[in-house]
Amino acid sequence: MRIKVMKFGGTSVATAEARLRSAMRVISAKEQGFKPVVVVSAIGRKGAPYATDTLISLLREIDPDVEPEAREMDLMIACGEILSSVIFAHTLKTLGHAAQAFRGGQAGIRTDGIYGNARIVGINPSSLIRSVENGHIPVVCGFQGTFVDHPGAPGGELTTLGRGGSDTTGAALGAALKAEAVEIFTDVDGIKTADPDAVNHAPTLRKVTYDEVAEIAHLGAKVVHPRAAEIAMQYGIPLWVKNTFSDDEGTEIVSRENFPGRRVTGVTHTGKLVYLQFDLSGAGETDRTVLESRIYETMARYGVNLFMLDVSPSSTGFAVPRSQYAIVENVLDGLVIPVEGDPRRVYLFQIGLQASREVETQAKLLGLLGEVRRVPASLTEGCTMVSLVGHEYMQQSGLFLQVLSVLSENQISVLQVSDSDYSLSVLVTESERDRAVKLLHQRFGLDEVS
Amino acid sequence: MRSKTMTETLNCELDPLPLLGGSHETEFEKRRGVSHTELRDGFAQVHVTQLVGEVMPARLAVLQAVAQVQVSIDFLKLTPTGLSFLVPSDKAAVVETALAGTDAKFSVRRDRSIVMIHAVNIRDEEGLIALVMREAIAAGTTIDHVGDMHDRLLLVVSEADAVRLQSRLQARLDEESHAH
Repeated sequence: MRIKVMKFGGTSVATAEARLRSAMRVISAKEQGFKPVVVVSAIGRKGAPYATDTLISLLREIDPDVEPEAREMDLMIACGEILSSVIFAHTLKTLGHAAQAFRGGQAGIRTDGIYGNARIVGINPSSLIRSVENGHIPVVCGFQGTFVDHPGAPGGELTTLGRGGSDTTGAALGAALKAEAVEIFTDVDGIKTADPDAVNHAPTLRKVTYDEVAEIAHLGAKVVHPRAAEIAMQYGIPLWVKNTFSDDEGTEIVSRENFPGRRVTGVTHTGKLVYLQFDLSGAGETDRTVLESRIYETMARYGVNLFMLDVSPSSTGFAVPRSQYAIVENVLDGLVIPVEGDPRRVYLFQIGLQASREVETQAKLLGLLGEVRRVPASLTEGCTMVSLVGHEYMQQSGLFLQVLSVLSENQISVLQVSDSDYSLSVLVTESERDRAVKLLHQRFGLDEVS
Repeated sequence: MRSKTMTETLNCELDPLPLLGGSHETEFEKRRGVSHTELRDGFAQVHVTQLVGEVMPARLAVLQAVAQVQVSIDFLKLTPTGLSFLVPSDKAAVVETALAGTDAKFSVRRDRSIVMIHAVNIRDEEGLIALVMREAIAAGTTIDHVGDMHDRLLLVVSEADAVRLQSRLQARLDEESHAH
């Protein structure tokens, strides 16, 4: 059987018209001799009535101070994909093509028991194969599976796969069904050399490697999730990113061996970041280790993602997503660390060079008991990370010089830099983000890439 | 969210956090958390300090001097009065000569290694980068620089620290594997 897995994202199933376009793509694949297996996301993006965010809000709005149980949250958000799969299957039926909707569990997707961020542990695709053999087009809910605690347990627990869940469903089903290809349909022509909002003429990349996609995705361009790319790479399945709404050929994601060579792939940017730099110059060497250790321990414990780490003998710094900054401020501002072996001396963390009223009060109270040493953290809000992503390019001599020169010549201040085998990133203010992306895009000849 | 009190912070005893994820590697997906570590040695770190005048143009002049001798640099870091970067050890002498021709004050530390800590989707796994940093610091490692990729964290340390850090991380991973 020539199976093709076709995954449609939220915008591709958002309206009746979009679903019709998507359904016609499925029918076209069928007419070309493929046996299509469809995977769908929830209908629409943020704000749409059945989008995942809307369903989450329904629970959260009951009482914002009470965190819903992860199990119940999974049951709630899975409804989005269930609605979507049933509507899509019926759309196909109205067009004269028999189709069956499947929940993740019904499609044989088994996961571990981690609600909200489950991993696929195995797939039994027999129900999907039977459906295809009976002449149906299976339409599977993306982003979900079933956890079975022990053999013989009644039913199973519905779980969701977390970030990139529907892409992951598509790639994993492609692997389990030995599909000829997995196609991820979205509302852009494929993977672009830059965000079209910053560079409106950014060309579509025709071919990229799994590694490049993973780096691009992690540094801001969320067209396909790296989890899906990894599964496709592991099983050697051709993975495509295509536009539901255009006839563009899209981007093919291939292994490194099939697309060698040195190149700059694209320029990406992350979302909004806040940069913090902790001044540890007031601490002795042993105390500095304790303080640094506590900073990172706290960030780990509260699940904060760090970017652009910078360590030196007198300071430590990193950027955090603005969405997580409130956590950082809440747990670190006013944190007190006692000095080992000296009960009369403590360190007091202070976020921002101006202490909050709470920190000042704490300092006064602690001051009555002994010596208080401040650990101030300077704060730069409104930052973003702009990255040049490439393949076998980052080891070029003079690359940093080129990047920093072009930004400096155009009066863009760089707050910090970082690099890896696949990328070179600069931290700039949000207001300079699009200009920095444009300048680097132009400087590295990406306007003409294809 | 936790409410913070002075008593709590003074007395808090924290349970160790796992480096390995909760579920095993599956047919389809890699295990969460740190999978293995790797060492690359043979690097030298160049520190340029006390640049005079406007810092960015002075930094660019340093980078220009290094680019002219065709040496590729890694792990660039901007410091308030200069910059630091890594070059292959066998190029350190060439870079020293190139920088000697500029006004820059610099020092070169040889015997630097890169410890690579591999973890799938490390930037997406909430708190994992912080956890690895905490482990490295707790191991008594002096970290010269940090970099990251989608599937690993890279720490620049002395060769001696690199071996020690790798052993410690490996011991933690073995311990957690057995516990699972």
